[in-house]
Amino acid sequence: MTDLNEKLSLLLDDYADDNADTTIDEVIGDINLQYRTRRYRIIGEAMRNELPQAIDTGFHSAVMAQIHDQAAVPTPAPIAAQESTVRHSLLSWMTLKPLAGLAIAASVAMITVALWQPLKQEPGQPGDGLVSADQEKIQKLAGQQLEGGAVTVSTRVQSPGTRWKVERESPGMQQKLNAYLVNHTEQSNSMQGLIPQARVAGFDARQ
Amino acid sequence: MGTNLLDAELVKRVQAGDTGAFDLLVQKYQHKVINLVGRFVSDHAECQDIAQDAFIKAYRAINGFRGDSQFYTWLYRIAANTAKNHLASRARKSPGYTIDVDDAQHFEGESGLKEYANPENLLLTDEIRQTIFTAIEKLPDDLKSAITLREIDGLSYEEIANVMDCPIGTVRSRIFRARDVIDKELRPLLE
Repeated sequence: MTDLNEKLSLLLDDYADDNADTTIDEVIGDINLQYRTRRYRIIGEAMRNELPQAIDTGFHSAVMAQIHDQAAVPTPAPIAAQESTVRHSLLSWMTLKPLAGLAIAASVAMITVALWQPLKQEPGQPGDGLVSADQEKIQKLAGQQLEGGAVTVSTRVQSPGTRWKVERESPGMQQKLNAYLVNHTEQSNSMQGLIPQARVAGFDARQ
Repeated sequence: MGTNLLDAELVKRVQAGDTGAFDLLVQKYQHKVINLVGRFVSDHAECQDIAQDAFIKAYRAINGFRGDSQFYTWLYRIAANTAKNHLASRARKSPGYTIDVDDAQHFEGESGLKEYANPENLLLTDEIRQTIFTAIEKLPDDLKSAITLREIDGLSYEEIANVMDCPIGTVRSRIFRARDVIDKELRPLLE
């Protein structure tokens, strides 16, 4: 203990060995060492005639109590912690960057496949029946040869459905339906971002 | 490790969230700050309040302290500004009492309204001073010289070693022993 007290005396005089950090730790963790530190300081202040008019033994306790009480006041973010957070963020970004790139690439590939798939299907092959129209009109279009070059008209419609009939009978229904689809895909948890927008655009292009 | 380095270490700990380190800084500088504020404000209770405010402001702003100056210089500025702001704020307020023209020549500002430190504290401080000086008087000459050269003359250990013609280790030991002897007398008063 005497050795520690001597180290404390050294620390007060701005001298300390390589274990100063340990000494500081011990002072912070030991109230008796703090009292001793205070008395050592008071000795010096009294000798230099620097003691205040009246020593308030509870001054530092009052300050610390106010600091602890002011929980609503944001405690200053430790610089070390900030640096650590920045380092951690950089590390996370460096780790996630390839994954994010992979995810974007996968999304683009999925869109491409989704849009390309119907074009790859052979005419006459049973399809999904995305649209329905009068079979008669389709067959007529399929039989036409335009001057410009090859035009392929898909006849892969399975069920007539009621959609275009509804549109004819209720003008503006298509807009409402589109708005509903856009809203639905935007709100959907599983389909966010570019993909739903691309699908809606693809849907409109096929009308 | 000099004062700057010791303070820098404590500041670094506070910035890392160690309030215990700030407690040590408060204990270290409280009397200096109170004395400084006392030059602006004579009322003891007011002085204590302003000094407390200054420390709390320092705590809140400590992340802005980058060590470009010494910690005490930075703290000194905060304390001085806090005291000046307090005076400015007080000056804006009306005094709350009226003075008769005939009595004005006898009026001494707020001196008549001062709230001095409580008698117990005044008595305790006086007793502390007497105890310390009595203990120093009783010290052996080598211890008394060492502690006096250090605390009053502010000499470094190396300078004291030259003056006393002894190794630095002896100086270190003498200063500690002097403090330890005085502390034994002082401790009962502050416990």
